[in-house]
Amino acid sequence: MINDLVTDKKHLFASGANTELRAQLNRSRQVALVNGDLVNNVRTENMGVSARVYENGVYGFSSTAEYTDDSVREVLKAASENAAFLAKHAGRGKGPNKPMPNTARFTAREINDLEQRAYIEFAKAVDAYIAGKYPDLMSRTVVAMADSSEKLIAVSNGADVHWLQPRSFMYIILTAAAPDGQPVELYDVIGGYGAFDANFTDPSSAYERIDRLYDKLRQKANGVYPEAGVKTVILGGELAGMLAHEAVGHTVEADLVIGGSVAGPNLNKRVGSELVNLVDFAHTAFGKPVPLPVYADDEGTEATDAVLIKDGILVGYMNSRETAERFGMTPTGNARAYLFSDEPLIRMRNTAVLPGSSKLEDMIASVEDGYYLIDTNNGQADTTGEFMYGVTFGYEIKNGKLGRALLDTTISGVAFEMLKTVDMISDSMTWVSSGMCGKKQPMTVSMGGPEIKCKVNIGGR
Amino acid sequence: MLEELKNTAKNAVGVLMNKGADKASVSVSETVTHEFNVDGGEFSLFRTLFDKKLVMECIKDSRKGTVSQNSFDDETVASAADSCIESAASSMPDESWDFAPLGENEDFVLGEVKPDTEKLFSRCRELMDDVKIRFPRIMMEQMIVSHKEITSARANSNGVLFSTHKGSYEVMLMFSGHDGDKASSFFVSAVTCANLDTPFIELGSLAKDLANVEKQIETVSVEGKFEGTMVLMPSCTGELIGGLIMSFASDQGLLAGTSPWKDSLGETVADERVTISLAPLDDRIVCGERITGEDFRAENFDIIKDGRLNAFAVSLYSANKLGLKRGLNDSQNMIIASGDRSIDEIVASIDRGIIVGRFSGGQPSSNGDFSGVAKNSFIIENGKIGPALSETMISGNMAAMLKNLRAISKEQVADGSTVLPYMAFDGITISGK
Repeated sequence: MINDLVTDKKHLFASGANTELRAQLNRSRQVALVNGDLVNNVRTENMGVSARVYENGVYGFSSTAEYTDDSVREVLKAASENAAFLAKHAGRGKGPNKPMPNTARFTAREINDLEQRAYIEFAKAVDAYIAGKYPDLMSRTVVAMADSSEKLIAVSNGADVHWLQPRSFMYIILTAAAPDGQPVELYDVIGGYGAFDANFTDPSSAYERIDRLYDKLRQKANGVYPEAGVKTVILGGELAGMLAHEAVGHTVEADLVIGGSVAGPNLNKRVGSELVNLVDFAHTAFGKPVPLPVYADDEGTEATDAVLIKDGILVGYMNSRETAERFGMTPTGNARAYLFSDEPLIRMRNTAVLPGSSKLEDMIASVEDGYYLIDTNNGQADTTGEFMYGVTFGYEIKNGKLGRALLDTTISGVAFEMLKTVDMISDSMTWVSSGMCGKKQPMTVSMGGPEIKCKVNIGGR
Repeated sequence: MLEELKNTAKNAVGVLMNKGADKASVSVSETVTHEFNVDGGEFSLFRTLFDKKLVMECIKDSRKGTVSQNSFDDETVASAADSCIESAASSMPDESWDFAPLGENEDFVLGEVKPDTEKLFSRCRELMDDVKIRFPRIMMEQMIVSHKEITSARANSNGVLFSTHKGSYEVMLMFSGHDGDKASSFFVSAVTCANLDTPFIELGSLAKDLANVEKQIETVSVEGKFEGTMVLMPSCTGELIGGLIMSFASDQGLLAGTSPWKDSLGETVADERVTISLAPLDDRIVCGERITGEDFRAENFDIIKDGRLNAFAVSLYSANKLGLKRGLNDSQNMIIASGDRSIDEIVASIDRGIIVGRFSGGQPSSNGDFSGVAKNSFIIENGKIGPALSETMISGNMAAMLKNLRAISKEQVADGSTVLPYMAFDGITISGK
């Protein structure tokens, strides 16, 4: 665990300014096997301390990879000097942010930092299963990885925090030949919150998922391209989560609202059908911990849920303390930094479309001619809300029944128009927590949702 | 400091060898960053960052381990060496692992190694003023302007010992066009420069990009679906062709055996006018790579020359594994040779198509199929550029596309990292609502 050299430096914080002092350790362990060859075998540690000072409406920040009493003092001094430089040249005449309660949360606990051998042996066992059972594959890739972020934060007003977030995953990527010899690929990710030895006790626990993945890949290898155009589709939970994060979530980050996103003129307006509800959860949803719980952010704001869309109406943004004051909203703990050398930005945490009351089978039965889109490998969205997702697996729906599997395709739409076409939402929920969100810095996030019936533009060939 | 870093790298190699490595390679670096941020059109943040990096790699009994830390005091080096040896010992033997042999060692100094912070701030303010005056409908969502000073050394057990001391400025502008509640898609324009002699607005394609986005506030949709010509603006050329190289000519697709080009070395894979190079030593590249991540001196090389597949951009490991020649650098400094027609002439020759500023889509499939949304794009009809487009998808196959080249422009954009022309391809599926 990080040695605490920050809490006792509070007496050095400048008066009349907000100061955050953060020591942080990020760890990553990764091994990758491609067709049985170990092509990646890396352990990474990134440790240091940073300070951020808010003065006259602007921030000064400094960080160093050294973590000693002297270096902590030095970053505090440098951050103050940087704030003073910018305040002098471009200050906005603002005082410090409103005081926040100091709830002093210390939630970190030690996790087992496994030797590299554990990851390699596990990946080898999984790879051997695939190689033995499915020799007809063109290629197979098995990745075993774990990452963690530990933060020790002291702030001039707000919650002091010590927390640690571990994640661990197995990536299985399979490639098969289509009848015409062209490669067709599909992947699955197993794992989530927790250290590797907590999530992966026995390689055989992955076999069922691998068998299912292979079966889907074979269907896909004989799949068809969808017909291009605006179609009725059922988005699976993964895609609904992607919609919540990419197409809506980013546009309601308050810094992007200030930058001109579509959410600015749409606050308190209808942006979806009344079935649509969307929340960025802090640590608990539906009575259970969310995939990546956040209890307080890097500005010392205690984390609470950010309700973004309620019954189809856009009701809020995700904020930092500064933007919350600007918009007259309550900050909900969304200001987070990835590495010690990163400043906190407004980031999503666990963003999800809320489940409805329909059954998936009824939803499929209600579609005469459309598609059920299940898996995705990427998504991007614009500040206008126009989005694009890659779809890696799905089925045709003809006369209320599932048909042939689909080859890779892309869907697109404009979020606040597309959400108005939602007429059924299932009662189930799927979460994904393996992704990294990109916005100047990467960030661990999770996203989730139920199945959603709506209209989108689907690319054919 | 350079000598100190070189000694640190050499000593760390010695530590690995003393702990039982057969071969070892170490890189150490110190980076100092000065960075100004503008958010929502106003200065928001000034950062100074002091970072370190240590990467230790070893091969023992043909097994390889790698450890990365951001500190290199003696204690860290010793514990990282233990971890690296353990990691290698746990690995599987593979004769393909190796490090660069001894060549000619050298010390490199590139660019303006120390920043002029006051002048950097002035150039930022000047850019903000230029945008406000010349492009009044542009909203600057974010601007990040920085100077990075990197001091680094690499050593290995074959006697390789290089050092580099370099400094450059980077400008990244994210912006969109606005008129009342109407808004364009966002666009990101970036340049790298060696000094602050030139106003930022005159660098790369910044002014052109800003002008284009101002014209993208009002959009139309393509009706239905048609097959037409796709002209890629230079930044989009880099994005799509870079993705193609990654999928077809790099470690990923070749090791997996899924690259459609895996058996095509020396064969025609593109129109004969296409030459694509990775060239960090080109004069137009700012502070390009001098030493590869595998301890080799970086050299320029052509991946495609006159339409033929000339080389793969693969690591030494993949080269040994697959019986190929390694890529001579591992930069992303892509240069695509210019053509003989102006972009105006190319557009004038197109009956129906699209000119694309940004592609919103994922990596192409293993077989080269791609589809995505054409962002920051305009329709081309009867030889003229028409209105900006929204909700328009483009799809095709990368491998086929390179053979269906219509033209490459005379004009190239040099942004400090790449040198790229406009490229026009026929046979692309373009679909609207």
